[in-house]
Amino acid sequence: MLNYILRRIGVSIMILFGSSFLVYNLAAYASDPLAELRLSTDDGARQQIIALTRDLQLDVPPPIRYFLWLKGVLGLFVGNLNLGMTREASSVQEELAYAIPVTIRLVLVATITALLLGLALGIISALRQYSRFDYGMTFLAFLLYSLPIFWVAVLLKEFMAIQFNNFLSEPNIPIKWMFIFSIFTGIFWSSLFGGERKRFWSVFAGAFATNFVILWAIDLTNWYLNPGLGPILIAFLSIGIAFGVTAISTGLSNSTAKKAALTMAGLAVVWYYPAQWIFNNFGSYLTILIMISLIVLTGIGLSRVFSKIDHGPIARTAIITGLMSGILILVDRIMQSWAEYSATDAVNGRPVPTYGQRKDQLVTTDFWINNLDIIMHLILPTLALILISLAGWIRYSRGALLEVLNQDYIRTARAKGLNERVVITRHAFRNMMLPLSSLFVGEFVGLVGGAVITERVFGWQGMGTLGIKAINSYDLNLLMGVNLLLSILVISGNLIADLVYSALDPRIRLGK
Amino acid sequence: MKLFGRKEKATGEILAGGENAIANKEVEGLSQGQIVRRRFFRHRAAVIALVALSSIILFVLTSLDTKIGPIRIPGWWKWTVEDIPELRFEDCPGGTTGCPTLSLNPTGDFGMGNHPFGQDDIGRDYFALVMNGARRSLMIMFVIGAVSGFIGVVVGSISGFYGKRVDAVLMRLVDFIQTVPTIIIAAVIGKAAGRVGPFFLALFLGILGWTGLARLVRAQFLSLREMEFVDAARVAGASNIRIAFKHILPNAVGQIIVSVTLIMAGAILTETALSYLGFGVVAPDVSLGLLISQYESSFTTRPWLFWWPGFFIISIALCVNFIGDGLRDAFDPRQRRRITKKDRLQAKLQIKAGE
Amino acid sequence: MKFTRSAKFALAAAASAALAVSLLTPAQAATRSTIVIHDTNSLTSFNSSTPDTNLTINSKVGNLSGIGFYYINDKKNVVRNTTFGDFKIVKNNATDFRIQYTVNKGLVWSDGTPINAVDLLLTHVLSSNTYSKAAGLGDPDSDNVPAFNSNGYGGTYNDNIVGQPVLSADKMSVTLQFKQKIANWDLYGPGPAPVHTLVLLAEGKNGLQSVKDNEAARDRFLAAYNSKNTAVLKAMGKVWSEAYNITEVNDKTNPLLFVGNGGFLVDSAVTKSSVTLKVNPKYNSGPKLSGTIDTVIFKFISDGTAAAQALANGELDVYSGQPTADAVAALKKLSNVNLIGGINACYEHWDTRVGNAPGQPDYNGIFKGHGGKGADLRRAFLLSIPREEINEKLIKPINPNAPILGSTFIAPGFEGYERLVANNGSGYYVGSQEALNAKAARLLKKHYPSASPSNPVKVNVLVPGNNPRRAAEFALAKANALKVGFDLVGDVQASWSPKIQLSTYDAQFFAYCPSAVTQAGSNANFQIGGGNNRNGISLPNLDAILNKLQLPMDNRTYISTIIQAERIIHQEGLTSGVFLHPAVTAVNKNLKGIKPSPLSDDVVWNWWEWSY
Repeated sequence: MLNYILRRIGVSIMILFGSSFLVYNLAAYASDPLAELRLSTDDGARQQIIALTRDLQLDVPPPIRYFLWLKGVLGLFVGNLNLGMTREASSVQEELAYAIPVTIRLVLVATITALLLGLALGIISALRQYSRFDYGMTFLAFLLYSLPIFWVAVLLKEFMAIQFNNFLSEPNIPIKWMFIFSIFTGIFWSSLFGGERKRFWSVFAGAFATNFVILWAIDLTNWYLNPGLGPILIAFLSIGIAFGVTAISTGLSNSTAKKAALTMAGLAVVWYYPAQWIFNNFGSYLTILIMISLIVLTGIGLSRVFSKIDHGPIARTAIITGLMSGILILVDRIMQSWAEYSATDAVNGRPVPTYGQRKDQLVTTDFWINNLDIIMHLILPTLALILISLAGWIRYSRGALLEVLNQDYIRTARAKGLNERVVITRHAFRNMMLPLSSLFVGEFVGLVGGAVITERVFGWQGMGTLGIKAINSYDLNLLMGVNLLLSILVISGNLIADLVYSALDPRIRLGK
Repeated sequence: MKLFGRKEKATGEILAGGENAIANKEVEGLSQGQIVRRRFFRHRAAVIALVALSSIILFVLTSLDTKIGPIRIPGWWKWTVEDIPELRFEDCPGGTTGCPTLSLNPTGDFGMGNHPFGQDDIGRDYFALVMNGARRSLMIMFVIGAVSGFIGVVVGSISGFYGKRVDAVLMRLVDFIQTVPTIIIAAVIGKAAGRVGPFFLALFLGILGWTGLARLVRAQFLSLREMEFVDAARVAGASNIRIAFKHILPNAVGQIIVSVTLIMAGAILTETALSYLGFGVVAPDVSLGLLISQYESSFTTRPWLFWWPGFFIISIALCVNFIGDGLRDAFDPRQRRRITKKDRLQAKLQIKAGE
Repeated sequence: MKFTRSAKFALAAAASAALAVSLLTPAQAATRSTIVIHDTNSLTSFNSSTPDTNLTINSKVGNLSGIGFYYINDKKNVVRNTTFGDFKIVKNNATDFRIQYTVNKGLVWSDGTPINAVDLLLTHVLSSNTYSKAAGLGDPDSDNVPAFNSNGYGGTYNDNIVGQPVLSADKMSVTLQFKQKIANWDLYGPGPAPVHTLVLLAEGKNGLQSVKDNEAARDRFLAAYNSKNTAVLKAMGKVWSEAYNITEVNDKTNPLLFVGNGGFLVDSAVTKSSVTLKVNPKYNSGPKLSGTIDTVIFKFISDGTAAAQALANGELDVYSGQPTADAVAALKKLSNVNLIGGINACYEHWDTRVGNAPGQPDYNGIFKGHGGKGADLRRAFLLSIPREEINEKLIKPINPNAPILGSTFIAPGFEGYERLVANNGSGYYVGSQEALNAKAARLLKKHYPSASPSNPVKVNVLVPGNNPRRAAEFALAKANALKVGFDLVGDVQASWSPKIQLSTYDAQFFAYCPSAVTQAGSNANFQIGGGNNRNGISLPNLDAILNKLQLPMDNRTYISTIIQAERIIHQEGLTSGVFLHPAVTAVNKNLKGIKPSPLSDDVVWNWWEWSY
């Protein structure tokens, strides 16, 4: 195995060498970085040509210049990496070091959210194969799959930012929209639950009424100007979560797990007020981390208290319930900063931005306001990326689960008399994750280089923006820097995908 | 948990033997092609998509003049992209120019009118531009599909069938191609050659776009070549080529076709993205991607310039995706078809009769 | 006082209505004191004078944080800033031309240090190759980077300066000597620079120093400057060339870097996102600030549509760019925005070939040679370009007042433009397109009697690719030229600029974007050996006229000289201006005083006039 990995790495280095040589020379011969300056009649142009020729060694022929560049790259092994200078005399490494975290922040959130959401929708879709919900999801997935992303971005900005901000300055939901929105919600839930016509309509009516009342209450109280969940709502939601998590994790028949989860939910609600005080006074990532560990410890503790054997599933149920309730409290706290955030001079009553990574003019040390600002700037680009990649995950997971459900061992499991929950969560889910795990690596790597348009439209200064800038300004060193990094990512992504796959599936033998 | 509740009920209602009875009955005495065709035509969405796509292609191809060498087949539409008719100023909303004349009002002036999709800035007929763009986009889609499909299948099957050295070398070739970013190469080539025609752009995107498919075909081959029927064929004295193409490939064809349709649907979007960034099809060539990115900012002022090319991109991609979905269902032998109430009833009767 | 029942009821209703309204209306910030300005590029350095950092955004920031003897207004005129000082010609011979620059007393840098003429001397160090070599700072023309990696070397100043600037005894003025009278001499004067900060930075100081220390540091510079002390100057040069190349500024950044005499000084900056400037409380070097603005933010947004949407969303106060007609229409619809239609300095023009560019193979196309057939056909060709239609369809939707250019030397609105256009022979190309087409057809038939729309004469045109507007422009030209009898064969090239000189093309169209207001700016396009003369123009009589523009002259003479030159150019059919590229500035409705200028520092030139 080690032998195999080492050999792969060795070959990869050869590939990198070849592809970078090719790209370097193609790019160098195809573009003249001085073209625009030669046309200029400016006084300074002459000096600029001299300086650029000197700084970028433009008088050296490209194939030889490549080796000068390579020498800088190989400096990595003596701790002196040098990817050269950009046209604007900044170091390429620094540009990359700035861009990488930006892209990862953008892509990671979107990929994970899309994965989770896509998995859920895909699984339900597969379980309800050929139902209304399945057809709806298939159509939705294909529609999303067919949308150009900049087109989506323009629409998102217009409706989710500009119009929404306008709405916030005169907040009033028209009855018409309440109706339309509630009808859609009704259709979604009733087709999700499915069933005979009678059940369909009763679910529809329930969802419609609930949604309508919620919207109405939101409108009446101007909730969106000063949003929050409050302890009562959190209590209700937590109890709901406790039941839901138990049902999927262990089945509701496991009363010990149910008790543990409910206790956890109760604890979360009791914890609400002290948490407020702690959040207000010690808002930081460390605090959140400590709270998460507390939840985990409590979950383990509860499993010991409630049961003498088989702690695992009970602890799992309690911890997941605790974490989800914790997230509610956290969301509530961030929401509480909304009014203050929106009133700042920087935001000026228009909280949903269309552009950029942060509001630079927002000067505050408040942990919650700063994070709210980050979240607000993440919303639209993340949403655009999610919409686009969601389609893939819905299709992949639906297909993978259907494939698995047709396998003999699923038939065997059912024949053994295992209930459907166990068949799905234990037998089917794990096997279906096999092909998806290697897809995830590929998807993530692809997005790091492929979020070009999203970055550009939403003004994120990540890898994509850097690459486009390099191409448009004939900045060879910058171009090669971006290219090298993306190549390394792709190659290691492929390697990791192969390793993950063979680790998960013993039938696959590597290096043979 | 309600999510799972229905499944239990459904399986409870029909015994497994009943399901098989339905499945077996429908394929009895049919050839592989017939089975596939039958299954495909039962996928309603796919059939609708196939009809829609064929109509779009027919509509797009016949509307404008077609030149094949010296032969010129005239199209039925009156304008070409070179014509510059008078720009329409009157009756347009909000002081815009060149608004569409398409009217779907059955009692009023129903019909296409002079410029059904409106006119661009200088008065060119937008219908002709969109048709021309759709042609280019369809051409790009099929070229990319064909080129990357062919290379992907050949490389993938050779790699998967022979394994070992061949496989290692070819898979490193895949890595190599993948490390060369499409956008960078497209931009570099575009800038060097002045501009690339849409056909060469497509060809070149096809040459770079087969890696995913090759990996998939290879994986299929790797698992299929271990199967008993391959051993059987080998024992019977079949040659390598015969085993690869007659025995293994047909088993992988479902996956391949699905993958190719995905590549084709993706190709349209790749072209759109590249054109948006200025590295794809460039003016004065027309493609749907170029049109949509050119009129990106017009959707609040002259929405028809923004929506029509978008409508065609989405329709084409949507149709291709649905056809792919139908093909997947049709080719997958393990795929269960939808069990309707009628089927259930029949199955019950059968079971009863069997008792 | 007694209220009736209904009055009480009314009061209560009013009070609850007021309460409801106050609840419904989100907190509006009082008068804003911040102005957020959009720019397409990200800042790369706080020193815009090195060859690598010569970007408009860098110089915009510099424009706000420093002010000197003059500024250029939105009419492209040089306006003297007499608050800072004044300058006058003290000797005016053909071979000895001297100007004295005097700084007013009582002006201070933002760290309190009084400004004097020593602060003007750095310009010489940054512009004179001779000084750089003599002081051992390196030869800017060589392969080695000079100590001060300045963009100013090798220009007009360097070519004409004699000796070193002479400092007066009270150190409040300097006198520059040029070897001849140079055109636009007022543009080549020295600008103030806080040299003491360079000295302190070179000495490794961090943080502002006392005024006394600062003045001592400045004296150290003066001594080094006079004695050409290589070590001290080199250290300063290193600071000047490198220390400003930062893009992230916060509390930890050395404040010595941001000492200035402008109204706003750099306070903070976030890499690739924005730069924030705060008002300079000690500012007294220029016109009084008229408003209450205390913060200026430059926000970098590269995508035009995105920027317009950000403006619509209130994230920006000033947007400037070159949007499409639709973007302009969308901006017009916004209720919170004022649209200032405008033009930028770029002018679109069609050029014809006469001969080959230097180093290119011979040109044997239809336009070959001056006078006679070549000139006739060139004129016919330019007549057949439907300038009116192009302007009407492509430019007016963006800028309804867009004029058709009658000159490629100066732009409409410039002093004397009307007289120029009336006399420079451009009238030949003006009229209804039918009349022009008829005129063109006559010229064409003279040499190609059989030319007609069905049997057209081929003209090879270089079409700049990747630009929808130019593609449309070419389509219109092609359609109209065919009516005359020309078949325009377009070769679309994405990277077109190096290909202008190729002899394969009979004609090209593109834009020049002059960034300064010099008299002789267009000379290089037409003179023999001119850097932009790629069409083989060789007319000694035109050269003689153009050479006069190298010398300073009053506006009347200037216009008369251009008239002579352009008469020849139009007679020969060498070039024809079409339109000025439209630029649009959209401004928050409440913001006053934004006056876009067509030169590159478009909106920031009059920052003291901004107010809410």
